Amino acid sequence: MESLSETKWDVVIEGTGLQHSLLALALSRSDKKILHVDQNEYYGAAEAAFSLQEVDGWVERTKGCSDGAPFRNATLWKADDDESTNSEKLAFSRSYTLTLSPQIIYTKSKLLALLVSSKVYRQLEFQAVGNWWLYNEVDEELLKRLPNGREDIFQDKSIDNRAKRSLMKFLKFIVDFENQTGIWEAYGDSSLQEFLSSQFQLPPRLQLVIAALTLSFDSPDKTTVRWALPRIARHLTSMGIFGPGFSAVVPKWGGGAEIAQVACRAGAVGGGVYVLGTDVENSQTIESTEEEMLEQKFSLSLSNGETVTTRHYINTKDPTASDGIVVSRIIAVISSPLLPIFASSTEGSPLAAVSVVVFPPNSFSQDGVSLTHPVYIMIHSSETGECPVGQCVLYASTRYFENSKVVLEATISKFLEAVKDNVKLLYTLYYEQQQVTATSSLDLAFDDQILDNVEEQWKAVSGYGDDEEHPPFMQFADREGMNADDDNDDGY
Amino acid sequence: MAEATAPKPSSSVKLVLLGEAAVGKSSLVLRFVNNDFQENKEPTIGAAFLTQKCNLPTRTIKFEIWDTAGQERFASLAPMYYRNAQSALVVYDLTKPTSLIKAKHWVAELQRQASPGIVIALVGNKLDLTNESSGSGNALGEDSETDAAEGENDDGDARKVSTAEAKTYAEEEGLLFFETSAKNGTNVTEVFTAIANAIPETSLKGARGPGATQSSANRTEDQSRVNLTGPRDSASKEGCAC
Ligand SMILES: Nc1nc2c(ncn2[C@@H]2O[C@H](COP(=O)(O)OP(=O)(O)O)[C@@H](O)[C@H]2O)c(=O)[nH]1
Ligand SMILES: [Mg+2]
Repeated sequence: MESLSETKWDVVIEGTGLQHSLLALALSRSDKKILHVDQNEYYGAAEAAFSLQEVDGWVERTKGCSDGAPFRNATLWKADDDESTNSEKLAFSRSYTLTLSPQIIYTKSKLLALLVSSKVYRQLEFQAVGNWWLYNEVDEELLKRLPNGREDIFQDKSIDNRAKRSLMKFLKFIVDFENQTGIWEAYGDSSLQEFLSSQFQLPPRLQLVIAALTLSFDSPDKTTVRWALPRIARHLTSMGIFGPGFSAVVPKWGGGAEIAQVACRAGAVGGGVYVLGTDVENSQTIESTEEEMLEQKFSLSLSNGETVTTRHYINTKDPTASDGIVVSRIIAVISSPLLPIFASSTEGSPLAAVSVVVFPPNSFSQDGVSLTHPVYIMIHSSETGECPVGQCVLYASTRYFENSKVVLEATISKFLEAVKDNVKLLYTLYYEQQQVTATSSLDLAFDDQILDNVEEQWKAVSGYGDDEEHPPFMQFADREGMNADDDNDDGY
Repeated sequence: MAEATAPKPSSSVKLVLLGEAAVGKSSLVLRFVNNDFQENKEPTIGAAFLTQKCNLPTRTIKFEIWDTAGQERFASLAPMYYRNAQSALVVYDLTKPTSLIKAKHWVAELQRQASPGIVIALVGNKLDLTNESSGSGNALGEDSETDAAEGENDDGDARKVSTAEAKTYAEEEGLLFFETSAKNGTNVTEVFTAIANAIPETSLKGARGPGATQSSANRTEDQSRVNLTGPRDSASKEGCAC
């Protein structure tokens, strides 16, 4: 095998999480000498996706991890499958692709535009996040579908006319909130709950509907208006962009991991060198003793024993990034396709592959367990390619606190009771995830901030000054061999 | 352009290339897609995703060809690379015995990691460097027994892997087997046509992967796809290649 130290690298990128993979994509037409390493034997870092067997290995490895590691307390449970029929037991390991950081991507997100303009979208397949559901025990209907637009609201008999008018007023405001600072600026740091009731007279139930769209890990009385409004607006203005009835998408076959891999592949196609299972153990700044400016600024010792030099070093050890948030998650496999959950409510909408169920704070209490924080369950159907036909994967998340494992388990039970489908739980993986660097995000929706980070790093590595003319970010022509007419000739 | 008959059913098939660096994977693709060959070409950079149609009597197969993008150098190919691949071309250089060992490693890896029904073709490339200019393929005769060459032959035959050895191995593992030359084109189209013919009908119709192939209602795949580039142009252009 050739030696890595023979090359004078322009940039060494550490970690193949989503952000750094997108950087590799951004640099893939730059003629820079790029070395991209990852300490793991797989792509995706915190956004990785695994088969069942790979999960087993990952659980073992997280046990030995230190406090600063992104994952902790991973525990695995599998149902006994002695007397079960086929769909009622786990299939073979590779029938599953479980993703550690489940995220939806709003259709308005710049990420989608960049995946298209950089042409890598051709290697990806996107599916709709269709229905959103709200769980509430005070209603006779435990699971209620969130309205998908104005018509839904008009037809909803459970909302009285006064509340409908309030809601319409709010919807009119929110799509233009950036120009309506007079209405909300003074309440920027107040809670969403207070704002919705005092400024729009929304009844508590509708407040929960609005709050659900923020995907906040905090309860509506702890979520600030300043933070919440852009998120609510994003949800509502994303509706219908790529088709009716949905405002977000997910990549098939494993979410962010799939995007990371496609992006790294583009990096490799551009000549970047990929080495997995290799970490940067030590980095040193090379002192400039000569008069001339040194091209190589860093000397990096790799865990494979080699030492490489590079002009730029993009690492994951960013101490400024942690905001201390910890999220508890359960990934569960269940023995039902949950067809009613995915059934389309909008004419002409694509078949939803993902559905979101929101459990607001206090939406149930049982055996001393009550929800102090919202719980979100993203339900992925077998359409996502993440599980066999006849099963679903549930990704449940809530803010970590002492009791959160029990709370997540209770929430999943409540959900399965509510769908009344005689569903068996086949597999659960519990873990806690903390944000240790700015390059990974616990957010349940893709955060466009990541793209700003990537663009900045791209400029720095490419040597583009702030005011200088430079090529547009991630706008690439098709590579040789890809026919432009490919989009519309893949008839089946 | 006359459209006399109804178009044949057409399906996309993902094909991955595997094998040691420099055995000629990218060259085989270049020969298949562009009918071209470049001596001493730069390794791989640039082309890593190509498409080419293959017309069979009853259907059209559109190969989505995934080259390694040079990632084989540090064994850092992404799992997504083989996932959902319906076919694989595992290439060795028949003048280089170690490359066959590497090829066997890739076959084992595919059998462990790829979709269960994957069609694998083992290809010994650079046949032009041997004395036999005619191609050896699946229809190979017994003549190969004699050229189990050890070392360089006096007559400039650089073959170091006998046809019999590789063929026996391919038969044991249930692989298609061909000896090719990307340089002069011997057997290249034949490899891809044989793969196209061997793809089971059930794994077509866009249904890929273990989940989808079990489903009888596998047309749902299309119903769930979101198109990021606006409404689809239904008037599809027909291009014919092989
Ligand atoms: N003589 C001969 N050379 C070949 C053949 N195929 C490829 N090569 C040469 O082998 C080298 C490596 O080829 P390439 O396609 O880049 O290999 P890859 O790394 O497996 O993709 C290049 O110099 C090619 O010109 C062949 O069939 N015959
Ligand atoms: Mg190549």
